[in-house]
Amino acid sequence: MDHLLFLIATGLARGAIFALFALSLVLIWRAARIINFAQGAMALVATYAAFAVTGMTGSYWAGLGAGILAGAAIGLGVERGLMRFTRDSHPLAGIIVAIGLVMVLQALLGIFFGQQHRPMHTPFSDSPLTVGGVPLLSPYDIFVLVVALAVMGGLALLFNRTSMGLQLRASAFSPEVSRVLGVRVSLMVTVGWMLSAAVAALAAMLLVPTELGLNPHSTDVLFVYAFTVAVVGGLDSPVGALLGGLVVGVAMTLVTGYLGATFAPIGVLVLLVVVLLVKPGGIFSMREARSA
Amino acid sequence: MSQQFTARRLAALAGASAVLVGLVGCSTPASEEEAPPSASGDATTAPVEPGDSTGVTEDTVTIGTHTPLTGPAAAGYSSISAAATAYFAYLNDNGGVHGRSIEYIVKDDGYNPSTTQTVVRELVQQDEVFAIVNGLGTPTHTAVLDFLNENEVPDLFVASGSTSWNLPEQYPFTFGYNADYVVEGAALAQYAADEHPDKKVCLLGQDDDFGDAMIEGAELVFGTGGLTHIERYSVSNQDVTAQIGALQAAGCEINLLATINGFTALALGTSAQFGWFPMWFSSSSGADYPTLVTYLGEDVGPQLLQGLVGTNYLPSLGSEDEWVTLFRQINEDYNDGAPFDGNTIYGMSVAYTFAEALAAAGEDPTRESLLAAVTSGGLTGNGIVPLSFSEDNHAAYLGVGITMVDQGVQDYLGATYAVEGGTVTAVEAAPIPLENDALPAG
Repeated sequence: MDHLLFLIATGLARGAIFALFALSLVLIWRAARIINFAQGAMALVATYAAFAVTGMTGSYWAGLGAGILAGAAIGLGVERGLMRFTRDSHPLAGIIVAIGLVMVLQALLGIFFGQQHRPMHTPFSDSPLTVGGVPLLSPYDIFVLVVALAVMGGLALLFNRTSMGLQLRASAFSPEVSRVLGVRVSLMVTVGWMLSAAVAALAAMLLVPTELGLNPHSTDVLFVYAFTVAVVGGLDSPVGALLGGLVVGVAMTLVTGYLGATFAPIGVLVLLVVVLLVKPGGIFSMREARSA
Repeated sequence: MSQQFTARRLAALAGASAVLVGLVGCSTPASEEEAPPSASGDATTAPVEPGDSTGVTEDTVTIGTHTPLTGPAAAGYSSISAAATAYFAYLNDNGGVHGRSIEYIVKDDGYNPSTTQTVVRELVQQDEVFAIVNGLGTPTHTAVLDFLNENEVPDLFVASGSTSWNLPEQYPFTFGYNADYVVEGAALAQYAADEHPDKKVCLLGQDDDFGDAMIEGAELVFGTGGLTHIERYSVSNQDVTAQIGALQAAGCEINLLATINGFTALALGTSAQFGWFPMWFSSSSGADYPTLVTYLGEDVGPQLLQGLVGTNYLPSLGSEDEWVTLFRQINEDYNDGAPFDGNTIYGMSVAYTFAEALAAAGEDPTRESLLAAVTSGGLTGNGIVPLSFSEDNHAAYLGVGITMVDQGVQDYLGATYAVEGGTVTAVEAAPIPLENDALPAG
């Protein structure tokens, strides 16, 4: 029982990061109907910016802020500089451009910053708090969970309670009609990209300090799991991203703890296959028409 | 619309043809008349076996390697080929071997076995290398093992501790370099049994051959099932919290590690978060002090690594050994003063060992004379025990020494173990002294 509690607690914090990153994929999907395969690499560039700023100022918070801004700026640059030109062609064009972008960004990071892992530090202690003899969440894990929930809450408010959110949703759902009604659709798409890239950057910055360190490939695995989470939860559904992230995070730790580390990635892929077979739109998907 | 489509198609076709023409141009052998007589040619004609001298000219010997320079594995290994290249530059500046300079072609395979197959074929068929030296990685090199042996290309000093390189019957052209993981596991386990007989010994291992072989080695000492607890990790998941939690719960006091450097750092870091400080005994593949400090950070690294036990068979970084002093100088002069760590010593040691073999292969080396030089038993290398190559043993080191980190210095403790026929014995270390500034005379 203790072991189970310990594993669930460990999985929750990791799941929150998956959820946050998956949410960023959902945001882009909702704004531009594209699965952005470059999301991990873009977030990584922002994380390098955060690392540089933290190194220069000595402040974690300055780095975090700079990373989020850098993420938004990269989103702006990629949308205006690349993705805009793929929108009217075949849907695959955007995906292929994004995959190319991953290679270019990772190669550039490798050329300029080297392949070594650079340690990043957490603003709070990493040591788990022990409750009744069982090590549970660390202060940093709690910080991650709080940040993830706050960002999701904030985005929910933005989308459901503001005029901007309404315009964002409208231009994603029906660009033609929105344009006729006076919504600046192309601006909304850009805003969607910026929001999404900033959230992805935040997720990457929360994850990297818990792993080996910053390296041009630090977000590879994060992207794969978050993509799974987004598909499992439904690409259209922020709630799906949140719950999917937590489920996948906890499931991975449980599988590692009870069956062995080798089975964890397999378990996640099995989950993906099952969901795609049973409910292709994802567990929390909206109506058929909107997922098309 | 259809016209535009046709135009696009034409453009694409033209582009593709251009690429194709380029590729064909590349794959044409540079000079067929230079191709030397193959060893398999009719032996009746010549009184003296001419031998296969592919890759050898009047003043050069061309050799090649495959190694990850990009991709996730590059972080740990890309410095090895750079160090070897630096040693060869030093050697060439000092006259080379028998008047020939060594050209070392380094090809990036990104640690992807299918890429390894491509680049090694390029090296053999297009660059016509004399030998492949220090190809890196178990999964990657396994992909070209048959190819190299079928083509009778000397495949020297593979950079991996797998036991697959020591199969002389099956792969007569392949020779390993690293002490294999069975030897390392056995040495660490024997050291634990000798020094800490009452402690519970556990193991954290990678979920592949690396982990399996270390377990096999440890069980030579403790018997099958003699380890208190075993946990495995997968390189695709950089979260070892669940495994560390299980080791702690099992009451482990000494943890043997079959981990690469990054995961040694993760294991130590994660257990420190739990406030748990057992003893750690790591394979040489995951016990390089400078590398571990960069993973853990300058601030906490030295503290966490205090007392880390490891294995090694090459001159150790912490000792002011004459090899290390010379290698440091070569690193300054020929490697732009890159960070000097265990990988640097490793790369230069491999390169030196190849130079020694080439020198022993005679004035006019052939692939046959090179292999004869390696199997003759006359090569010494520069390790803490002499090289053990022979006709029926293609492993470089059958013995390893135990190292420990103390106050930021990683050096040998003196305990040295060798494995022969499944038994572990303590042996005397016999470090090879530096001769002639590491310039093999032949």
